[in-house]
Amino acid sequence: MTRGKLVFKNLTRKKSRFLFTILGIAVGIASLVTLLSLGTGLEAEVKKQSQALGAELVVTPKGWCAYEQISVLTGESLPEAIPNEDVEKVAGITGITAVPYLVQRTAIKNQPVTVVGILPEPMKQFKNWQIDRGEYRLDRESVVVGSSIAQQFELKAGDKLTIRGTGFILRGILKEMGNRDDLVIYLDLATAQKLYGVGDKVSFIAVKVDDVTQMDRYSQEIQERANVAVVSDKQLIRSVLAIMGTVRNTLQMIAAVAVLAAAFGIINTMLTAIHERKREIGILQALGARRRTIFSLFLYESALYGLLGGVLGLAAGFALSFFAAPYIEQSEFTAFLGSAQSVKMFSPAVVGQAMLFAVVVACLAGIYPAWKASRLSPVEAISYE
Amino acid sequence: MSEMIIRTEKLTKIYENGYSTVALQDVDLEIPRGSLSCIMGPSGHGKSTLLHLIGGLDRPTSGKVFLEDLDLTAVDANHLAEVRCRRIGFVFQFFNLLPVLTVLENVEIALMLAGIPPRNQRERAEELLGLVGLEDKLQAKPNQLSGGQRQRVAIARSLANDPDILLMDEPSGNLGTKSERELLENIEKVNQRGKTVVIVTHSPSVAKISHRIIYIQDGRLKKEGE
Ligand SMILES: Nc1ncnc2c1ncn2[C@@H]1O[C@H](COP(=O)(O)OP(=O)(O)O)[C@@H](O)[C@H]1O
Ligand SMILES: [Mg+2]
Repeated sequence: MTRGKLVFKNLTRKKSRFLFTILGIAVGIASLVTLLSLGTGLEAEVKKQSQALGAELVVTPKGWCAYEQISVLTGESLPEAIPNEDVEKVAGITGITAVPYLVQRTAIKNQPVTVVGILPEPMKQFKNWQIDRGEYRLDRESVVVGSSIAQQFELKAGDKLTIRGTGFILRGILKEMGNRDDLVIYLDLATAQKLYGVGDKVSFIAVKVDDVTQMDRYSQEIQERANVAVVSDKQLIRSVLAIMGTVRNTLQMIAAVAVLAAAFGIINTMLTAIHERKREIGILQALGARRRTIFSLFLYESALYGLLGGVLGLAAGFALSFFAAPYIEQSEFTAFLGSAQSVKMFSPAVVGQAMLFAVVVACLAGIYPAWKASRLSPVEAISYE
Repeated sequence: MSEMIIRTEKLTKIYENGYSTVALQDVDLEIPRGSLSCIMGPSGHGKSTLLHLIGGLDRPTSGKVFLEDLDLTAVDANHLAEVRCRRIGFVFQFFNLLPVLTVLENVEIALMLAGIPPRNQRERAEELLGLVGLEDKLQAKPNQLSGGQRQRVAIARSLANDPDILLMDEPSGNLGTKSERELLENIEKVNQRGKTVVIVTHSPSVAKISHRIIYIQDGRLKKEGE
């Protein structure tokens, strides 16, 4: 007989209570693990999307907040706010290449899809796009789409597409880029402006500079010439990460609270168990068990709840983040969290953090019941009826 | 008169919960080493209380308990646990065994608490259970045993740490005559191996095998033989 054996026999003697207490912990840990693993690849993912944008500077309307800056990277529709006059002023600066974006939304088969109005030729060069099928043609009745859109909706060159009640012909499908460009329908800028009734305005302008060391100077020059704001790609990444980090931390806090709630389940279970086993505690004391021994027996029992709940929760959490991640509804906040690339499976850090949290919380929850058990006087325990 | 292993001085226990119950008053008692004594008296008159006090399970309101030269009322909870572990074996009236453990494990746990490593426990536990004639019930759970068998497991377990003193609270209280006879044989066997035995009992057959009878009434000791 060892203490471990005794603890384990006691732990599993009430099967359903054992199971439900474990499940309480497991649910909390599973959500924690899901959220922790969803966030692990966040930074790399944001950088990747920023690279896909291909710009060193982004010209935005004045007064944009970080929320709208995220949308530059996620492809959410944006308010149109930079007039053509300013676009031309920016484009006129020597040493830079500027391409305007008008980002809007439409729906195909009731699913939301991003529509971007662009200048066809400058954009193609800017992005180094290749055509996969059909031809690269954008005009009043022609559009091209990214490869994922074509795949998702089973589109081929020559198909008809209705955008905002107007019929278009799908002329070409771009080669896969492996980023958000694959998820977009591209329209000729003027056509898009008319279709969405936004006059001569665009959402933002992506800018490439010829000499990267001169970025600050260009940034200043753009703001002097036009009534706009300018952010660098680095600033963009930083503010996006700041927001996403806050969102992630908040979600993780909620999950942590779920684990804490389960800790009260452990306290409850342990107090009930101690009440039921008062006589047994008395027997152990009569046999010479010290207070420290009684305390540790019950503390180990709680810790085991944390350990087993943690293991179960880890398994469930990884399963959940593996299967659920691709289906997380895309929005500004979840766009980066949910993308498959940002889910790092079985990261040792996540496993370590979650298990540590489960066991520490379970131990803390076990202290009070174990202390109570250890303070029982032997006679009180024995003569208890 | 032989050497006294247990001695009490003006032992008094008053339970305070809401109102005071005087369970024991000014009990002066001496128990010789190696004796087989029984404590008799009406229900609720303080017999169990006395047994718990001399076994270091509870503390008196006033007075002293000596185990040889050690004053049990002067030591801390850990030291008391140590004394119970090394020197005293208990058998209670009901509920002696841990229901989740087998007969064998119930004995092994006493050995574990006495600090005997797992690999040495089994042999000793089997030997003890053999002593009380339960070698064929090692893997049974307590709820598969009769009342008498359970008490015998409790006796085997109380001997696990090779104690000097065996304290039993109405061990045959809920047994039939046949079980009681078996139990008494076991108790005598243990006593003949040199253990001091103190039994709280109502049973005349227990009284018959005892060397000394201690009468308790209203928490007070009646003079022996009275
Ligand atoms: N834990 C306790 N709290 C309060 N009163 C108790 C407690 N234990 C025993 N008593 C009281 O002390 C008296 C003696 O009890 P006890 O020693 O159990 O008697 P006996 O074993 O002779 O039947 C009884 O009146 C009983 O009600
Ligand atoms: Mg009694």
